[in-house]
Amino acid sequence: MRKCILAGIALVLVSSFASGQDPVFPELDGFKKLTKYPVFLPENLYEFINGAADTYLALGFTDLHVAEYKKGKDIIKAEIYRHSSNTMAFGIYASERSPSYRFLNLGAQGYVVDGVVNFFKGNFYVKLRTYSEKQKTLQAQEALARRIEAMLQGPAEMPDMLSKFPDNGKKENEETFVNESVLGHQFLNKAFKANYRIGNDDVSIYLIRSGSADETLRVAKAYLSSAGIEFDINETRYVFSDGYNGNIFLAWSGDLMVIISGLAKDQADIAATYTYDILK
Amino acid sequence: MKELSRRGFLRTGIAGAGALAVSPSILASAVKAPEENNIIYRTLGKTGMKVPVISFGVMRSDNPSLCKAAFDKGIRLFDTANGYQGGNNETMLGNLFKDFKRDSFYLATKVKPVTDREGKPNDQTSPEKFLEMFNTSLSRLQMDYVDILYVHDLSSPEMLEYKPILNAVKKLRKDGKARFIGFSTHRNEAQMINAAASMSDWDVILTSYNYKHAAAAEITEAIKKASDAGIGIVAMKTVAGGGWLDRERTKPMNTGAALKWVLSNPGVHTTIPGMTSFDQLEKNALLLTDLAFSETEKTDLLADMADPGLFCSGCLECLPQCPHNLPIPDLMRSFMYAYGYASPAMAKNLLGEIGITGNPCEGCTGCSVTCSRNFRIKDKIADVTRLVNTPSEFLA
Repeated sequence: MRKCILAGIALVLVSSFASGQDPVFPELDGFKKLTKYPVFLPENLYEFINGAADTYLALGFTDLHVAEYKKGKDIIKAEIYRHSSNTMAFGIYASERSPSYRFLNLGAQGYVVDGVVNFFKGNFYVKLRTYSEKQKTLQAQEALARRIEAMLQGPAEMPDMLSKFPDNGKKENEETFVNESVLGHQFLNKAFKANYRIGNDDVSIYLIRSGSADETLRVAKAYLSSAGIEFDINETRYVFSDGYNGNIFLAWSGDLMVIISGLAKDQADIAATYTYDILK
Repeated sequence: MKELSRRGFLRTGIAGAGALAVSPSILASAVKAPEENNIIYRTLGKTGMKVPVISFGVMRSDNPSLCKAAFDKGIRLFDTANGYQGGNNETMLGNLFKDFKRDSFYLATKVKPVTDREGKPNDQTSPEKFLEMFNTSLSRLQMDYVDILYVHDLSSPEMLEYKPILNAVKKLRKDGKARFIGFSTHRNEAQMINAAASMSDWDVILTSYNYKHAAAAEITEAIKKASDAGIGIVAMKTVAGGGWLDRERTKPMNTGAALKWVLSNPGVHTTIPGMTSFDQLEKNALLLTDLAFSETEKTDLLADMADPGLFCSGCLECLPQCPHNLPIPDLMRSFMYAYGYASPAMAKNLLGEIGITGNPCEGCTGCSVTCSRNFRIKDKIADVTRLVNTPSEFLA
């Protein structure tokens, strides 16, 4: 009876993670693997990455496993961050990447810069860092990254929503995911963002898929209300200023909302074209 | 559903050239000259910098409009770091502030030297790498100097006197690339602050400090010593837990009360709460002019102090108290996995890793462990170790 109750409790408390198992770091030829670090959790992630932890915590960080690989004086430090979903893993990965990096076909995407190899796959964000400048060590680092990638579960693809951004004028590898307070507004959350260069203007497009048309409508009304704009039941496209972020083009269809910032009010045609391409 | 077309947008509230549809509430928070707002300033030790009591911990924000709004409210000190968002945080601030008069704001950044796990220097602790990272920061910030350069995340007093790094930052100060130098600390805070107070090298200390901190009393005392010695004190992690008392985010913290508690210490000259929304900015900006506790804030503070939450603080005080040498922090972590993360699989896996095969407390009639966070250790262990006997196929 006791076991049935426990099993019942366990069934209710179902984990949302891709795997309940801790990652096992692979071996690396010629390097001694050291796994002396504790597992870091949200409450002590600060001890490892100090104030940078806040960004990880805001993107569903759950735990971090760390190992070092040592060969003589050369050390490669490997960090495997697990987040609550693939979108969150993309979010933290994208928040730290720059379009100037050398990108790799590693996991869903990876890059190399100045002794750093980072990538994400599934719910995991992996960071490898060495201060060695020796070619053999750098090559070993990349080999290690691929071995870790191979052992991690989860999709090796970019989030689907990114494919909804039109290509025209889009700046490559600048897409991000903003989990909370999009454009500084607490009622706007979970947006994919892409940056564009349209003519002489730097423009950002945000996409928010709420999962329900009612929810999207509620959020749209909240945004309009915050800007003092009266909601018109016959309209799903508005241009206004929200007071802090300049001109905003807001549109929605079903459960998908599009927000465009950076265009002037007289550039509604451009906004309409991009909006149509996204919402069609 | 309405058929989509390439039709235009409803232009709202637009009249003539440049009129904006803004709500009265937004207009009310538009720019006002700081001197009209009775902002409370404190002087950052011997630096002589007069800073408002609320500054901006930019680390999570990627929105320049929010930073500009903070400036418009009278906030003057903006805190970032070389490592935040992979450098994108500094880049964002650089793009914003390049259009500002340089002496209209203060910019603090941090560079972390390589250390070993104990925070001590090793053969990779290189001043050359440190300077390279700092120069990268200056380049991203598009500035010739920063107002405060912190040596980031120091936890060992040995690092405070480590000549290669100390001399490097002193030279930066001498060359005018960093007006003042300091360090940030997230562990062993009291020890670090006390050590720095006995030295004459450091201008500013950035320290974790909040009412829920296990070592709050020791840090308070250390802050007084350092402040009396003329060191500027900036407090961070002032809102422990990100504004929530629980992992599920069902119990909001009274963040105003938390900040006021920190600033009730006159040795603290300013704080750098992290902000990502205009609502947070509005709430924190109220403290720029008013640090008096309301009755609600007092009540909430006292209630929060009594709530232990879900997370083991890692103080390790329990370990010598248990006659059976149980790995209590790991057991508490397992409990947190089960109930904080709703992951019984992770919880059970961890129990296996630490060799728990049943309830290890069964032989004890009472519990000799007093947890610094008032956790009921025996009850939590009994609860989570039930998972040992739950078939794994029922766990995900």
